[in-house]
Amino acid sequence: MSDEEHHFESKGDAGASKTYPQQAGTIRKNGYIVIKGRPCKVVEVSTSKTGKHGHAKCHFVAIDIFNGKKLEDIVPSSHNCDVPHVNRTDYQLIDISEDGFVSLLTDNGNTKDDLRLPTDENLLAQIKDGFAEGKDMVVSVMSAMGEEQICGLKDIGPK
Amino acid sequence: MQGFPGAMPDAGQLQSTLIAIERACSSIQMHMNPAEAEKIIISLRQSTMPYHTCRFILENSKMPNARFQAAGAIGDAAIREWGMLTDEDKKGLILFCLHYTMEHASAANAYVQLKVSAVAAQLVKRGWFDFVEAEKINILLEVKQAILGIHGSDVQFAGINFLESLVSEFSPGTSTAMGLPKDFHDQCHLSMELNYLKEFYCWAQSAAANAVDRIVGGYASASEEKVCSKALHFMFQILNWNFQKSSSALDYSNNKSNLASSGIRHDVVQLRKFERSLVEPGPLWHDALLSSGHTLWLLNFYATLRQKNSSDVLWFDFPLAVSARQLILQLCSLTGTIFPSDNGEMHIKHLIQILSAIIDWVEPPNIVPGTLRSGRSESEMVDGFHALLSMATLTSTMLFDNLLRSLRPFGTIHLLSALTCEVVQAHASKNDDEQTWTSEGLDILLEIWTVLLGRTGNEKKLSAESIASASNLFNTVVESHLKAAAESAFEDDSDADYFHVSVSKRDETLYAYALIARASIETTATFLTKLFTERFALLSQHNERWDPTQTLEELYWLLLITGHVLTDPGEGETVLVPEAIQDGFAGVSDELQHPVVVLSWSIINFARQSLDPEMRKMYFSPRLMEAIIWFLARWVDTYLMPIDATKGHLGTSGHDEEQQQDSQPSKRFLLSFAGQNQGQIILDIIVRISTSTLTSYPGENELQAFTCRKLLVALVRRRHVCLHLVALESWRDLARAFANERSLFSMNSRLQRSLAETLVSAASSYKDLEISNQYVRDLMGPMTAHLVDISNRNDLKAVAQHADAMYMVSCLLERLRGASRATQPRTQKSIFEMGYAVMSALLTLLELYKNQSTVVYLILKFAVDFVEGELAFLNAKETSILVNFCLRLLQIYSSNNIGKISLSLSTSLQSEAQAEKYKDLRALLQLLTNICSKDLVDFSSDSNEVGSTDIAEVIYVGLHIVTPLISLELLKYPKLSCDYFALVSHLLEVYPEKVAQLNKESFAHIIRTLDFGFQHQDADIVDKCLRAVNALASYQYKEKTAGKEGLGANAMSSEESNGEFQESILRYFLRLLLQLLLFHDFRMELAGSAADALLPLLLCEQDMYQRLVQEFLDKQSNPAIKTRLASAFSALTSTNQLSSSLDRPNRFKFRKNLQIFLTETSGITSII
Repeated sequence: MSDEEHHFESKGDAGASKTYPQQAGTIRKNGYIVIKGRPCKVVEVSTSKTGKHGHAKCHFVAIDIFNGKKLEDIVPSSHNCDVPHVNRTDYQLIDISEDGFVSLLTDNGNTKDDLRLPTDENLLAQIKDGFAEGKDMVVSVMSAMGEEQICGLKDIGPK
Repeated sequence: MQGFPGAMPDAGQLQSTLIAIERACSSIQMHMNPAEAEKIIISLRQSTMPYHTCRFILENSKMPNARFQAAGAIGDAAIREWGMLTDEDKKGLILFCLHYTMEHASAANAYVQLKVSAVAAQLVKRGWFDFVEAEKINILLEVKQAILGIHGSDVQFAGINFLESLVSEFSPGTSTAMGLPKDFHDQCHLSMELNYLKEFYCWAQSAAANAVDRIVGGYASASEEKVCSKALHFMFQILNWNFQKSSSALDYSNNKSNLASSGIRHDVVQLRKFERSLVEPGPLWHDALLSSGHTLWLLNFYATLRQKNSSDVLWFDFPLAVSARQLILQLCSLTGTIFPSDNGEMHIKHLIQILSAIIDWVEPPNIVPGTLRSGRSESEMVDGFHALLSMATLTSTMLFDNLLRSLRPFGTIHLLSALTCEVVQAHASKNDDEQTWTSEGLDILLEIWTVLLGRTGNEKKLSAESIASASNLFNTVVESHLKAAAESAFEDDSDADYFHVSVSKRDETLYAYALIARASIETTATFLTKLFTERFALLSQHNERWDPTQTLEELYWLLLITGHVLTDPGEGETVLVPEAIQDGFAGVSDELQHPVVVLSWSIINFARQSLDPEMRKMYFSPRLMEAIIWFLARWVDTYLMPIDATKGHLGTSGHDEEQQQDSQPSKRFLLSFAGQNQGQIILDIIVRISTSTLTSYPGENELQAFTCRKLLVALVRRRHVCLHLVALESWRDLARAFANERSLFSMNSRLQRSLAETLVSAASSYKDLEISNQYVRDLMGPMTAHLVDISNRNDLKAVAQHADAMYMVSCLLERLRGASRATQPRTQKSIFEMGYAVMSALLTLLELYKNQSTVVYLILKFAVDFVEGELAFLNAKETSILVNFCLRLLQIYSSNNIGKISLSLSTSLQSEAQAEKYKDLRALLQLLTNICSKDLVDFSSDSNEVGSTDIAEVIYVGLHIVTPLISLELLKYPKLSCDYFALVSHLLEVYPEKVAQLNKESFAHIIRTLDFGFQHQDADIVDKCLRAVNALASYQYKEKTAGKEGLGANAMSSEESNGEFQESILRYFLRLLLQLLLFHDFRMELAGSAADALLPLLLCEQDMYQRLVQEFLDKQSNPAIKTRLASAFSALTSTNQLSSSLDRPNRFKFRKNLQIFLTETSGITSII
């Protein structure tokens, strides 16, 4: 490593690429992968060979991190797969608007107003109730390949 | 009938219950509102004194299911109310059931009769020690008369049925618990064995004998045949009894030499595998089984029938034939003191007698498989194999071989070999998937070979004829399997592999083949070399257009079998050259001519070809490489620089003739050909092959896993091999590549962990401590530097979440973790430096990656392994550094995860997230447990120094952080709850004072989890909770008697909003425990720990205890139960001179009291 740049440094412009190629054989359960253009989380990996004396191939079962759909793929294990950059950011919740959008406070003090409330009823209820009770709430937002979604909630405020 | 308990309800009531039960039964069958119907049936089972009603149903209901339920209700109620029934009642119930089965013997729906019979048997057992002997005899006399056939064959059948239920009720494995302690069951078992079992056998025998004459004569009715097969089956069941008396009372050690000369083995305890056991009924049975000609009678009977029905292919599976054969098998497995001590003469005669009969089942070997193919059932042949297995187990190899010589011109092993040849061929060329008999037959045959040849020393000596047979058999085995391999070469690699279901099964088979090969090793080693060289040559001759796949698959199989022949698996043991190989080859005088040396070199040279990129690409497929790596790993363990080579002898085989064998040059060759000089060359080849599998087979995880976890581990296992290893340029290249190059980062990160572990392990070979540590620094320094670099980057926040950055961090963490796992006293220092260097970086990364569960988990696991490896060695200052790091880690983790709710659209993603959380918490608990161990194991020099970290203090803080994360939801994961309760009970036992100081919330949380644990299904967890409560209460009691505060304010946590803990905690647990003991189906195995927990509780809370007892008694409406309960309660605390201390004798007394209490009260309270 001393004689080479760290390979993720060479990109320079952070965030320019939405995915990164990684050898299929190194992708493990709970890792991320792109299947059919969708960012997914791997829930199962199994390997087999193409014929007895052939090369190994990986069979991935994965779940779309945004819509929850199950996807599968088979890739020779020495080939590269696309791995999505999955980011989670925490924002403080400022406001919930009438039309189902939320207003969030970013790190640099601006507001972010382009996110919808989650469709999940449980989470939705918790956000709305908590907000109505005047709690301080932090929502975590998952983003990958240009999509964003509220995926979690943390209550930091006083009871 | 007289003596029927309970009041007789009026006719209308009886009729209406009958209708209700019938309706419930039919609605269960139709699946209409089954819950409601079950409730009705359960209410019958739980009602008091339902006997008249049940009897009415049994006698009048037309619906078999209703009769079945009524019978069950009689059993349940009688067991429960046993204490309240008079002797007359009990006998009345038993006789009623018995008569019922006899009277209805010919009725349809046999399962009802069976159930009634089983209930009768249960009641007989329950009252076994209540009844006087004469009463038992009266009951059994009736059964005897039935069995002897006075009342016709149907009643005979019913009688045998009853005895069968009775015997199985008395056998430990099949008995009903009835809420009674093990002691009771043991006594019943013994009493049955001593007094009745043989008599039962004789009754059945005479029942069978009567029928046999008529069956052989050809004028038996169907029901007589049924009785006969039932009787034989019952006799078989009796011989399956686990005989106690004879096996425990005798000691063979005195006359060992005497027995060895006869060839009968007495050291065997059981037949391995196949769920069969040896039969050791003891001398009392001699007349019944041996001297009366019983065996001959049975053999003749079977032979006559067999001849009569020889044309009927289905006859072999008829119940009569099956039971007869089963009984013959049991007789064949007879052993022990039933045979007189006449130097085994009678036993040998007995075995030959049986052999002469069963030989018809398997002979001639080449015909039997043919007849099976034409539709005959294989059951007879398989039973024949089982009989041979019993004989092989009971005799020495030589005696086994000789058994057949009085009947045939050849020995038994010759026959066995011929049989195995046929079955192997049929098995390998399996063209019809339906035929499972080949694998079943082969399993048994190979087990026989394993038994015969797996012995040591003189016991497995073989005649020349046997050796020739074995050699012949091995040739057949190899040829059939090579053929099968070639044929299957183009099949897809899948579970449907042609001759094995799983690797361990395959290895077992190969191990048996290897034993056969070693029996004639002088010919087989050369044979294997020839086959191997031929195929190797084939590869080099051909051009590119030729498809080598079939040859590759043949080579694959040859590598596997050769590996098994040359080496033993030796998991976790020091592996030696197999005895047969050491002792063979007496005539070899030149090292290079030694067949094993030649074979080894031909494989190593073949493997070396894989280093040539051209060859590798064409021939060395991943699968073939896997076999090569596997072979090399086993070979290295056995032959490479064997430990005793320098001393010139092997000191472990236990021979007296060692001196004489030492002079044998062939043995010296084996130990020296891969010794110091050649060994180094071979070592170099192997390291280079390993490196090439890691770098030239990208993505082949399985192959690389073999290399990292098997081969490289084998290389560093022994220190003197390691010494040569670290001196090799090829090894240094590998280490350099690992430390400084990118290529190995493309391996699966888990394998990088194994590789790091192996590389670091090699450091222990250096004599100089400083060099060892420097080696580790060179290896791991670049990793720590890289990780620190990453954590110090200015743009860290922007790039950290990128997949590539995360991958790199994960790889580095795995490597650090691997290195920590390889911590040894010699390298402890440098590993600690490594960990110390990354501590702050790890904390940064934990914060940064708080939402990336995979990275978080790796950081936690690194901490777990690091603490486990290092903590015992650290001095006070280092300990406090490490402990502070762990606490910071816990705090950061906790602050990021407490109160976090994550939800997702997908339920499976949701459950994944839950599972990840669970894994994290397990790691945290492991971390705390590991830190705890510092108090127990401490190697550091200054452990008593002032200012050293108080481990208890740390655990205390740690517990504060971790407990809020543990939700009751998460405790449903068995492993997590097991870890958690282990930690809590350990803490409460060792540091109760620290736990008492926890803040209210944490303390209440722990108590709540204990409460939860009590309800757990897993007895182990309940046990841990009981131990925890015991510790808590004992602490409180001791503190209180010493006049101290004890749990103080924590003991009174009445602030609970849900009202659960309105009373003090100990009172709460007292109530809980009593409820558990009385009202739940309490498991007797927990009685000991329950007693230990209950004693301090009731000592602490005397008043409360008295109140609770009164409360329970007041709730009883039935005065009989009330009196019994009251006396049981008072006996619990007053008998056995129980004092109010918590010392061992007193606890022991209380355990006994509670045991009696539980036996007394079991059942009666479960209906309240």
